[in-house]
Amino acid sequence: MAAKHIFVLDNGGFNIKAGFANNSEPRVMPNAVMKAKSERRRPFIGDQLDECRDVSGLYYILPVQKGYLINWDTQKDVWDYLMGKDCFNVHINTMSLVLTQPYLNFQSVQEGLCEYWFEEMECESLLTINPGTLSAYKYGKENPSELCCLVVDCGYSFTHLIPYVQGKKITEFVHRIEIGGKMLTNHLKDIISYRQLNVMDETYVINQLKEDTCFVSTDFNGDMAIAQKKAKENPYVVDYVLPDFTTIRRGYMRPKDEAGSGEQVIRMNNERFAVPELLFHPSDIGIQQMGISEAIVYVIEQFPSEVQYHLYKNVLLIGGSCSLPNFKERVEKDVRTMAPAECEVRINLASNPVTDAWRGGCVLTKDPQFSSQLVTRREYEEHGFSLCLQRFDV
Amino acid sequence: MNSSQRESARQKDANSRRVLDEAARRRRARKALEALEQDNFHDDPHANLVLSKKIPKFEESLDGKQTRRRKSKNFEIFKQRFRKSFAQLLEEEQMNRPEPPNYVSAQVPPSKFPERHFCAVCGFICNYTCLSCGARYCSVKCLGTHQDTRCLKWTA
Ligand SMILES: [Zn+2]
Ligand SMILES: [Zn+2]
Repeated sequence: MAAKHIFVLDNGGFNIKAGFANNSEPRVMPNAVMKAKSERRRPFIGDQLDECRDVSGLYYILPVQKGYLINWDTQKDVWDYLMGKDCFNVHINTMSLVLTQPYLNFQSVQEGLCEYWFEEMECESLLTINPGTLSAYKYGKENPSELCCLVVDCGYSFTHLIPYVQGKKITEFVHRIEIGGKMLTNHLKDIISYRQLNVMDETYVINQLKEDTCFVSTDFNGDMAIAQKKAKENPYVVDYVLPDFTTIRRGYMRPKDEAGSGEQVIRMNNERFAVPELLFHPSDIGIQQMGISEAIVYVIEQFPSEVQYHLYKNVLLIGGSCSLPNFKERVEKDVRTMAPAECEVRINLASNPVTDAWRGGCVLTKDPQFSSQLVTRREYEEHGFSLCLQRFDV
Repeated sequence: MNSSQRESARQKDANSRRVLDEAARRRRARKALEALEQDNFHDDPHANLVLSKKIPKFEESLDGKQTRRRKSKNFEIFKQRFRKSFAQLLEEEQMNRPEPPNYVSAQVPPSKFPERHFCAVCGFICNYTCLSCGARYCSVKCLGTHQDTRCLKWTA
């Protein structure tokens, strides 16, 4: 099967990562329809947002809720745009589609996906699969001597831990933490609005603020003590200059001692690391769940000790929230403390955590067994959804 | 105001201060968490545009040509069948997949580490609890801010 006839679509709750299997990079765009106050003539679909010059008060319509596809109307708008002439111009009826869906996806949504792509879009053949499985497959190809892999997928809607033993997903030990990038951004909005300036309507801007200023602490109590010092001796205090969308297109960090000229700023201090800390201590905001490091150890401990040894040295971090500075170092430090002393702990951060699953999808299409994983339209017409349920492992 | 007046005013203030019971505190905490799942905190800025005739609807481009494929009738039927809220999906899933592994069984258990507490006002580690609502605070200054702003201002 020629790679130009295979389309890989990693359908995230925040971003879509999509492209033909022979592309070297995917196109990454918001999985959303957005409305701006400044542009009342039309909404923006996906990366049409690049055409919007003033994104203040941007209003989001998201197809995905809590990680699951709920709003089919909006999803179709985004997919139609993605597959259409303005983007990839995909001739879907002669095309194989590799489409991701969330871990333990609801059966009704799975059925909807199959029906949509086979009946509404009439695609040639389809494989739906978890993003972690694509990343684990690629990891296995790059590290052929390794037998196991624990994928930690820290995305927008939530975080999953997915163990793979000899390439096979162990579904009964897949676990979910109800924290992802969305919670972090909304929590940051909340505390800034309370402490400084009402930014409740500025999800887009505050998400950038998070990306530009936040980091994961590797010594939380120590960093808290430093952040309590006066601004002069406190390296964490920074002023973030907010965009005004006339002269300042995007916000940026300004050193605290540099004078401004009347721009609107948000002063960041302990928020910079206390917000990402929720990933490691969800109980800090009252979510009674383990954090990422503790959950890694918990999941690995479900396995016999000889498997544990292999999992500890093959932890793979994917998903956009892993891109926060020091994320990997923190996980490494925590897990090293909690794991048995004789186990080697190796935490691997995907070279691009956002696009890793998409790349994995492209690698998978070269597998000699790839076509046997697909369900063709003819097979679907004959056997219906039950064949998809059998063949797709989600 | 002399000191005894001030004292009595504060006393009166303290006496009249409502105390949230455990159930109300929990309800409030749950609401705060639900708010963290919201996509928007404001209304659709185009919500009232539908009535305006001057502005083209978004199926049409400015020169009046159709740029978007109209949704097919089949899709309308499809949509009706698959239109379900998250709560409905979850309920349905519990019937389809009552045995683990499923959505409910996949959630990680509570942490074994002790809970940490942060000042609701400034975000630093703290030791005190507001008697009225259970929020945490670190100093008299932050308690004052808390009482003047969030303490019992939003009711759950
Ligand atoms: Zn305080
Ligand atoms: Zn209070």
